[in-house]
Amino acid sequence: MSDTGSESSEVTFEEAQKELERIVQQLESGQADLDDAIKLWERGEELHRLCLEKLDSAQGTIEALKPAEPA
Amino acid sequence: MKVEAEQYGDRRVYTVSAFNRGVAGWLARLPTVWVEGEVTELRRQDRWQSVFFTLKDPSDGSCLPTSMPRGQFDALRLELANGERVHVFGRPELFEARGELRLRALSIERFGLGDHLAALERLKQKLAAEGLFERRRPLPRFPRKVGLLTGNDAAAKRDVLTAITTRFPPARVVVAETYVQGPRAAPALVTALRDLCAGDGVDVIVLARGGGSFEDLLPFSDERLVRAIASCAVPVVSAVGHEQDTPLTDLAADARASTPSLAARLVVPDADELRERLNQTRSRLQRAPLHLVERKRARLDGSYGRLRALSPRATLERGYAIVRHGGRIVRTGADVEKSSRVDVELGEGGFGATVEKTR
Repeated sequence: MSDTGSESSEVTFEEAQKELERIVQQLESGQADLDDAIKLWERGEELHRLCLEKLDSAQGTIEALKPAEPA
Repeated sequence: MKVEAEQYGDRRVYTVSAFNRGVAGWLARLPTVWVEGEVTELRRQDRWQSVFFTLKDPSDGSCLPTSMPRGQFDALRLELANGERVHVFGRPELFEARGELRLRALSIERFGLGDHLAALERLKQKLAAEGLFERRRPLPRFPRKVGLLTGNDAAAKRDVLTAITTRFPPARVVVAETYVQGPRAAPALVTALRDLCAGDGVDVIVLARGGGSFEDLLPFSDERLVRAIASCAVPVVSAVGHEQDTPLTDLAADARASTPSLAARLVVPDADELRERLNQTRSRLQRAPLHLVERKRARLDGSYGRLRALSPRATLERGYAIVRHGGRIVRTGADVEKSSRVDVELGEGGFGATVEKTR
């Protein structure tokens, strides 16, 4: 959570998904205080959006490696 | 054979011709032997007296120029082609005019299926003993890029690509096409594998080849390729279609897949499953703050109830009174004396009073 909001574009789907699930667990455990809860929730929403974007808009690419020279 | 040398002071000096003749004579005393290798650079022309080719050691590429009189070669009716494995019976010979060593072939036998199988089995035992078939590294769940190493046989490539992009549309795939059949296949596959590994962000490599005959699939049991897979920096999935004989790449790879869709399952996550899980997590996320507030409220209500229970107000309402004297609560008769002014607080309201008598 130290990098909340920063470097969002650098986060991978996997990292975002893990953080999102950790936030949900934290919220569900009821241990967070209310002020933190709001921040966590906002971060969670952001991560969810990020994951969806990565899943939906990320257009797959197929590139060709330059043909290997036969020995 | 006598080889003459010129004497320059205390130094004996041979002419090139004499040197070659001497070495040739010495070589001619070596016995005839069988040599195994792959035929490359086969050159045969009707107007030449000899047929030439280079015998190549498939394991390290060592070369041995070989020649055979054309008449003998033709009489064998081998119809040899480049890349074929052969056993050559012959003896070393120096081509004196050029000082080149070569093998003079007396007979050539094609390396048969049985030989291939036996050689394969020996190679398998050897590589197994080296521990090359024990690599089972975990595959990444979310590869940044998938390397696909495949032949230019369109079907295998298309099938794997379709399987990957259907399962996970955002997949990024780097395709390396190369020879997958014939003598050039193994070195070309090794080179392509290294190039893919060196590629930016490739986290897993699929080696795909549609099914083929035993001979077709021989490059996938080539020692060079098997070693390259075993030492590959990123995990490799072997997706080589085969029926009976397992190519050694299957054993050396970190995972194997018998079909393109199984290969896809191994290397990319299922986008639909991810979306579903994301939806569930989102629902939990949206419910969570409400739950949290409810829990906090419940706890607050509990605290308030306890606070009220402890409050003297509730006690007063039951008919008790608080008596104060000079702002301090009167707890014993000794706290006041006759004529002391006291203030009495009741559940509702209160009154002032004067002490008449103490006990």
